[in-house]
Amino acid sequence: MTCQELDLRLDDWLDGALTGDAAREVESHLAGCAACRERERELRQLLAHAAALPRSLAPSRDLWPEIAERTSGGWSSWLVWGAHGFQPVALAAAAAVVLGLAALVFTRLAPERVRTVTMPAASPSATTFVAGGSAADPVLAQAEREYEEAAKALLEALQRHRGLLPAEDLARVESNLQVIDRALAEVREALVKDPANPELNRMLVATHRKKVDVLRRVVRLSTAL
Amino acid sequence: MEGLVGVVIGETRIAMREDEDRRATELRLVRQAQAGDLVAFERLYRENERKVFGLCFRLSSDPALAEELTQEVFVRAWRKLSSFRGESAFSSWLYPLTVNVALSERRSRRRRDARIVATEDPASLERAPRSPAPEAGFDLEKAMAALPPGARAVFVLHDVEGRTHEEIARLLGLAPGTSKAQLHRARRLLREALAS
Repeated sequence: MTCQELDLRLDDWLDGALTGDAAREVESHLAGCAACRERERELRQLLAHAAALPRSLAPSRDLWPEIAERTSGGWSSWLVWGAHGFQPVALAAAAAVVLGLAALVFTRLAPERVRTVTMPAASPSATTFVAGGSAADPVLAQAEREYEEAAKALLEALQRHRGLLPAEDLARVESNLQVIDRALAEVREALVKDPANPELNRMLVATHRKKVDVLRRVVRLSTAL
Repeated sequence: MEGLVGVVIGETRIAMREDEDRRATELRLVRQAQAGDLVAFERLYRENERKVFGLCFRLSSDPALAEELTQEVFVRAWRKLSSFRGESAFSSWLYPLTVNVALSERRSRRRRDARIVATEDPASLERAPRSPAPEAGFDLEKAMAALPPGARAVFVLHDVEGRTHEEIARLLGLAPGTSKAQLHRARRLLREALAS
């Protein structure tokens, strides 16, 4: 048996799937090959790591309230992230959570819409955040506005804490947000041409959520420093 | 020796009785939930939430997404609850649903996420749920997150969750040989990460 052949059989041997002559061939090769014994040792170590991982992990927050709302026929329960394509989803629930989080931590904003918000950036170029609200569906449009307000609240909090963050992290955030804003602009442009497209609606929501997630994480990071 | 055997047999009987009690309680909760009792469903959720989240997290490698996926799993479970006949544990019934939700969502997001998070993974800015590592110096969770999705899914299901290739093949809609090939690939990549 060559080392290459052993490599192909080592998984089965370690998983106990080889018996008889096939197993003995592997064992015989291992007995005479230091390199393959080292490979076997590494693999056993990896499998021990994997087996020691706990299969249960705790989420960072209580997920039940949103599940309860979606299962109990609450006002947003018809907005389902469903198997039959996008029906303006978890959007409302997600927006509510984000807003709840923002309201807990930060001062609620004035109601007026802001078309552009500029974050003083760590790098020479400033990042511009373009507000949208392009969805044709009134519920979706309302949720989009709420996402935008949440993003704005988080952005203001970030501005307050930005001195605590390393410049390189701020630059990464700025870069991510620019990409997200470009994606938002693309989706909105596509929605103008095809407002009823469920996938586009779903992408719009997901992109807003991504933006809020990025901001929420970086604000959480800055406040933890 | 007989005394020790007697103790072991006694403990086994107690454990079996506790299992039966747990199954009976679970089945009662399922029946109540099937009748529309959300409080009973919440208890089922509380019993299973960590396992579902753990699996969603390992399949998606994104804690925020894993939370959404966990919610989606339980919302779908509520809607499909009438199809649960109580022939298996509720957690067993939930398992393929969890894998399906996590992987189908991953597939549908793959193209979009590649565009949205083009530069950096924002998750890197915050600490993902960490497992108590048996040895310092090798973060298996991080290395798993860097695997190609197909290889990661098979590694998680086989080496972390303890599923067989036949079960994985059914869950993922693959041939068992493909599952083996993906596992081989995942282990090789992780072994290289472990050695570096």
